[in-house]
Amino acid sequence: MTIDYLHLLHQTLFGALAASGFGILFNFGWRELLWCAGSGAVALTTRTLAQDAGWSLEAASFVAAATVGSSGRLLRSHLGMASNALAVCGCIPMVPGSFATHAIFGLFALTAPSAQNATLMMTTTVEMLRVAFTIGAIGAGLSMTTHILRTRDF
Amino acid sequence: MPELGDVTAPPRAKQAESKQDKTKSSLERAFMDSAERFLLKHQELEQIALATLQVARLLMVSGARAEVVHEGSAMVALGLGAEHAELRSGYASLAITVGAGINTITRMAGVGPLGVNHRLDQAVRGLARRVQKNGLTPAAVVAELASLERNTPKHPPWLVATAVGVACAAFGRLFGVDWQAFLPVIVAVAGGQAIRHGLLQRGANVFVTSAIVAFLSSCFCGLTAKWSGSATIDSAMVASVLLLVPGVPALNSQSDIMEGHPTLGTARAVSVVMILMFIAIGVLNARAVLGIGP
Repeated sequence: MTIDYLHLLHQTLFGALAASGFGILFNFGWRELLWCAGSGAVALTTRTLAQDAGWSLEAASFVAAATVGSSGRLLRSHLGMASNALAVCGCIPMVPGSFATHAIFGLFALTAPSAQNATLMMTTTVEMLRVAFTIGAIGAGLSMTTHILRTRDF
Repeated sequence: MPELGDVTAPPRAKQAESKQDKTKSSLERAFMDSAERFLLKHQELEQIALATLQVARLLMVSGARAEVVHEGSAMVALGLGAEHAELRSGYASLAITVGAGINTITRMAGVGPLGVNHRLDQAVRGLARRVQKNGLTPAAVVAELASLERNTPKHPPWLVATAVGVACAAFGRLFGVDWQAFLPVIVAVAGGQAIRHGLLQRGANVFVTSAIVAFLSSCFCGLTAKWSGSATIDSAMVASVLLLVPGVPALNSQSDIMEGHPTLGTARAVSVVMILMFIAIGVLNARAVLGIGP
């Protein structure tokens, strides 16, 4: 496994920036925004390392979501009751919004008069499946840690 | 000599009649008392149901998962004095049955547009914990909820717009948008968020708003990215609409289905797909206007 440290740093920084920006949109408090940034950084670092190790996007997203979810649970005493919400916020930069939009473009393009239907159908199907599996993997990673490391706190 | 019609009952019959009257009136009194108690209990339960529905509604609109909504409403209903509470959560409405002894009552309430408001969510959860521990009155709960809804701090709209702009540009960098398109994405998204905020404040439909904002943001982003010499105009246009992608509802829908609330989970998933469709329509039209792609 070869790690491109510059790329890793880039993904970590922008993951943190994206998560904290969305944290403001979701009305997190100022103190929690730092944790949002940390959560996004952990998510993107884990996903990038897993992808560098040759894992697929879906598997890497699952591991990243599970890491963020369990870190939140372990740091619960510092984070208060918001650990689950912080984990969700950290995972938002991993939601494949770009793939989803491209997949829908593909669906529209399939109906165009001069569409290369066979190739386009293949690309669009692959993108749609990647969107579904990646969102599924993130959700599963978060939910599984929530249920395995369950606490009585509300 | 007694006149016709002046029928006087013999003393023994009179006594029996008065005894019967007494029994009847005591039965009536008991019945009235129990009816009054029943009505009183019914009114109390109604207050509990309405206060609990308000708690559940606020948790829903601030982006909580179905399980949290169910747990919070049960805590509040039991803390207010109900002996059991069952909530049914739909995408647009909530129904609750609360009961004590043989009395039960069912009430229903609309939910309103779903969003994500973390501080409001935490404040309502805190109230639910206090009700469970200290048992407030339903009127106090309703008053506190109204105060929370009014007074929970929010970031100013200009800050939200700027932060979302930076977040989407950072998100864009994660999937390969070049530096030349970084600033255009920030400006396009900040403008788009301002327009979205304005339209939603005026009660515009969330799907129509998504299509309009997607069109305007991606059009502006495409033009300015082209002008700034970006080689990733297509990706930049996609990055400029990421603020509209409903990430939290997408994750909530999966959690809801996993946690035994498939109706709400499926409804959330359908609304996510619909929003993605409207975003794509907006971006496709922008691409057609700018002469990019099909």
